[in-house]
Amino acid sequence: MTLFRLECKTHRKTLLVWIIVVALLTLGLVSLFPAMKDMGLQQMDLKAMPKEMLKAFNLSDMAALSTIKGYFGYEFQYVMIATGIFSAMLGTNALAREESEGTISYLYAQPISRLSIVASKMVANSLIYTTYWLISMIFAFVSCLIFKEAGASVSNLFKAFAQLTFAGWIMGLTFLMVGFLLSSLLSSNKSATSLSLGLVFLTFILGVVGKLKDDFQVLVYFSPVDAALPSAVFKNGIEWNYIMTDLVVLFITCLLTFWFYKRKDLKV
Amino acid sequence: MSVIELSHISKRFGKFVAVDDLSFTVEKGEFFGFIGPNGAGKSTTMNMILNFIKQSRGEIALFGQQIPEHELDVKIRIGYVPSDVRFYPQLSVQDLIHYTLDFHHIKGDKAEIDRYCDLFQIDRKKKFGDLSLGNKKKVALVCSMIHHPELLIMDEPTNGLDPLMHARLFRLLKEKQNQGVTIFLSSHNLKEVEDYCSKVAFIKAGRLVGVEDLTTVNKKVKIITLKGEKLPVEQMEAIGAECIKQEDHEARFIYEQELGRLFATLSQFAADLDDITVGDRDLEEQFMAMYENQEAAR
Repeated sequence: MTLFRLECKTHRKTLLVWIIVVALLTLGLVSLFPAMKDMGLQQMDLKAMPKEMLKAFNLSDMAALSTIKGYFGYEFQYVMIATGIFSAMLGTNALAREESEGTISYLYAQPISRLSIVASKMVANSLIYTTYWLISMIFAFVSCLIFKEAGASVSNLFKAFAQLTFAGWIMGLTFLMVGFLLSSLLSSNKSATSLSLGLVFLTFILGVVGKLKDDFQVLVYFSPVDAALPSAVFKNGIEWNYIMTDLVVLFITCLLTFWFYKRKDLKV
Repeated sequence: MSVIELSHISKRFGKFVAVDDLSFTVEKGEFFGFIGPNGAGKSTTMNMILNFIKQSRGEIALFGQQIPEHELDVKIRIGYVPSDVRFYPQLSVQDLIHYTLDFHHIKGDKAEIDRYCDLFQIDRKKKFGDLSLGNKKKVALVCSMIHHPELLIMDEPTNGLDPLMHARLFRLLKEKQNQGVTIFLSSHNLKEVEDYCSKVAFIKAGRLVGVEDLTTVNKKVKIITLKGEKLPVEQMEAIGAECIKQEDHEARFIYEQELGRLFATLSQFAADLDDITVGDRDLEEQFMAMYENQEAAR
């Protein structure tokens, strides 16, 4: 509990900065919707582009862009990528930072087991991510309510946001746990940011490749961002096959983190 | 009762052997010094005792309980001061004290904490990251003692401390020892080890060179330095003195026999000598002799 409180206190400012930046970004994007709709965004002729390419960038249904759900679903995918990077960074920094900054010499001299260190940090960082995600989604929902087109159903929008909140939460937790696994193997957090960026973009590109060619469709399962793409969630609801894959990855990486951290030599 | 019991522990980092077959015991209430040159394996040994790193071979027991199996039961009874103090820089000293007490699930004795903070002149409102090296060390010292540990493990605790704080620390450690606390101290400063430790272990290149009881050993052994044109080396050796160093006009001997014979011999040759010094063997002398003996044995 002490480490949990310490960890929450350490990340308070980072959490606040991310919430503010994402809220402003969301507000900026959503506030453009009425103007974009009036410009006739859905009329744009993208027939020259290959169908697969449009599918890969989630632009296959241009008509949907005339609704707040369709517009938000397309624009918010970039915030989803940023969210993935945030959660992956929380994970990759969590354990390695203690060794890199030397604070492990204080922490592990206290009566606390390695398993407790990992568990406390996992719970604290999961809570930090959940807080970030819930606040961001509430803000996004309110923004959409303000700028929605006339006649759009609020209950329909609420249901879509509830589904997206769940799918995005699982996506973030998956990146968080993969980050934790990497963190348990590292003795310095110097490479944490580049590893987090690499992890999110690599898996995102795997998803794009999977969507480009049917033969590679299995690659989409390796892309947590794809399991929570707003346009897909708004259109098809929660795709449980992807969510289950994320949960399996989450569970395995969580166990492996405990296993590796219990056995490693801590750099003091 | 053994507080620390190391049994044939070794640590390898790849092909490099940092600690090799190290065994010794620290008894309850001892002020135990652990000395050796840089890179000898002192910190590696301490890190193994605290389970920061895993030993490649051998067994470690603290308070009779095996590490790492019983580390929680044991760590609650230990205070640790690392050589390089890097605590959470964003926390104030007061926060660090509170977190330390929280980790030990105790409220702490306010009067005692105030006493330590006054003794080491610590400003509790300051952020740890804003403190100087010496002040960081003082915070580590306070944090290591506020939960009433039965064993204090200190890695170079006087690094960065001024002479006044140095003296206050050792007075406090002596007080703790008198209360039954065991102190395991690693240091480069042979004088402080000699002045305060009751027992000392010497380590070199990861191997134990020897363990000496300082309460008895040094008082029996004399170091004699003779200066002059004509040095009575053969005569000194005839009474049991061992020549440890000989130059043109100077010779040094170790002597452990009866003092009467020594002074009789010295007075016999005093006329030929420019200077005679007889003193107790200090730790530095012992340290050097042990290392040189080990080198010669190789």
